[in-house]
Amino acid sequence: MPRIAPFRRPLSRRGLLAAGALTAGLAVLGLPALAADAITIGIPVGLSGANSVVAPSVVQAAELAVEEINAKGGILGRPVKLEVADDASGAAGAQKAFDSLIFQKKVDVLISMETSAARNAGLPIVNRGKVPYIYTSFYEGRSCSPYMYVNAWVPDQQVAPIVDFFNGKGAKTYFLIGSDYAFGRGMLSFTKSYIEKTGGKVVGDEYAPMDATDWTAILSKVKAANPDAIITSTAGGAPNVTLTKQLRAAGIKALYGNLAVDEGTAKSMGGDAEGIYIAGSYFTNIDSPANKAFLAAMEKKFGADLKTPNDLSVPEYEAVYAYKAAVEKAGTTAADKVIPALAEVSVEGPRGTIIMNKQRHAPLTMYLGQVQADGSVKTISSFKNVDPGEQCPKLK
Amino acid sequence: MIAQGLDIVTTAAILYAVATGLLLVFGVMKIINFAHGGLMTLGGYAALVTTQMGLNPWLAIPAAALFGGVAGMAIERFAVRPLYGRPLDAILATWGLSIILGQLITIGFGRGVQFTRSPLEGTLDLLGESYSAWRLALVPIAVVLGLGLTALLQGTRLGLETRAVIMNEDLARGLGINSGLVRFLTFTLGSALAAVAGALITPLSSVDPNMGVPWLVNAFMLVLVSGASLFSLALSCLVLGGAQVLVSTYLSPVLGGLTIAVLAAVLLRIRPQGFARD
Repeated sequence: MPRIAPFRRPLSRRGLLAAGALTAGLAVLGLPALAADAITIGIPVGLSGANSVVAPSVVQAAELAVEEINAKGGILGRPVKLEVADDASGAAGAQKAFDSLIFQKKVDVLISMETSAARNAGLPIVNRGKVPYIYTSFYEGRSCSPYMYVNAWVPDQQVAPIVDFFNGKGAKTYFLIGSDYAFGRGMLSFTKSYIEKTGGKVVGDEYAPMDATDWTAILSKVKAANPDAIITSTAGGAPNVTLTKQLRAAGIKALYGNLAVDEGTAKSMGGDAEGIYIAGSYFTNIDSPANKAFLAAMEKKFGADLKTPNDLSVPEYEAVYAYKAAVEKAGTTAADKVIPALAEVSVEGPRGTIIMNKQRHAPLTMYLGQVQADGSVKTISSFKNVDPGEQCPKLK
Repeated sequence: MIAQGLDIVTTAAILYAVATGLLLVFGVMKIINFAHGGLMTLGGYAALVTTQMGLNPWLAIPAAALFGGVAGMAIERFAVRPLYGRPLDAILATWGLSIILGQLITIGFGRGVQFTRSPLEGTLDLLGESYSAWRLALVPIAVVLGLGLTALLQGTRLGLETRAVIMNEDLARGLGINSGLVRFLTFTLGSALAAVAGALITPLSSVDPNMGVPWLVNAFMLVLVSGASLFSLALSCLVLGGAQVLVSTYLSPVLGGLTIAVLAAVLLRIRPQGFARD
């Protein structure tokens, strides 16, 4: 029972209204408790901090999935509800969010897109709480836990399409630029070894602090090295934007692959983004019935408030369905039954058919796109079922 | 070599544009205005509004000056003036204000990264290097800013009174100078300059609610080693900004990000007056 503090002042009308709303809210919250068997999906996500730009689209995708599932009778006849908690995009916030979701809200599963820092901080709590966890953000790879599945891409899947394409365009020398953190360094060290394996040469790789907005010295080095192609992997948002702008302003004309830019950011960057190559498992213009139905449903549910679906929000949508399929296959929400089932079920989603059967990761169809002058992304080619490679060989 | 030289000069020009407003406020009021970063952000959004209204991107600069000036007047009147006798509290108050400014901007424009049109696109050929036109343009802009402020301080009655307040506020007041007014005008001017700096860096940076923050620490260190002189500020921007470029180029950009703060701290330890003459 929550203790309700006595009011110190006589209630104003507004206060009464608020109290009424609160009571109504409690009543609504109380309903599922009456039908005590709702399945609760916990979503720790960066509503504040670095991920705050993308987090709303992730929550929207989850809301649509839950609404659709409930409209069709829920999972095993039980309704589904969401518990969203802010992880502040970092380790400290994630510890609180995971702790409260797992031990206080007693969620049945965690499904979320988060920063690597937040995921790493949350995993020990997941291991302690023994709940299934589907991580839906692309990341630097090789994060393993007996409770975790990942349905988004890792470097092995994203880098190859870009480098292969650049090699095909005759690129011999590469310059790599990144932000100095786990994702930036992880992506580029994989990129470097892949370039060298496929016969290219890395003439420079440079890292700037994560919050850097001044790329002057690095760009001068790029100009001096005069590479055929540049591949960047910075933190999202400001560092990525400043690098792109300054790179363009410096008049660098090399092929430019950006591992960290998403479709929406590319769109808003306008002219500066033109010609950038990006690779991902989802672009809004994927020409499939599943994607079109998904986009239409999102449009219908959220209307003007719709946050454009993207490579971080669509996996969230699909992961909710993956959980549904796994619970139905297992016939229970018990973690020890659901976890093996997650590797076996397949989801037909906007990105295609997805099965997380490769060491807790999923083979994905990857798309290579180029940003056009009007900000749209033109799909240049697609690569079917790109394997995630050796991610968690020790996990069954 | 030429590229490095241009990097150093343009970096110094950017730092100078960013730090002058802070220096002015520090000189007259003896407080570091931590709302400087927030005011820069405000200037960035002034540029954004200019872009959204489809105006000539150069108009972003006067628009930013107007936004920053008005905000500065309000901040001085309602937050800083009541704390004249308590400089430390005034610093904290400006820090809080910068958080409030950031949040207000977030409410108005959202957290996302925004984009403005640049007054100058592309590159210019200079000494056999093709170099970012906007970075080059910042050099004359910074010089004009410096000369304009010097003219204001050396050539006008207000400048004379301002210098008198900088040197000895009690004495200036005893001589009939309205030091409160001088403080008010200085803070307004400093805030306008901060916002102008924010607008000036938008072609190189993104516009987001925290865009001013990374600049604050470097501007703060530069002001500390410069005392209250515009000339020594120019010198310290060149020396410390130059060091930052060289460290970033030859060692690592990660260390480069620390260079200004570390060198300034070491400099102040060895020579407490920094680059200032007295």
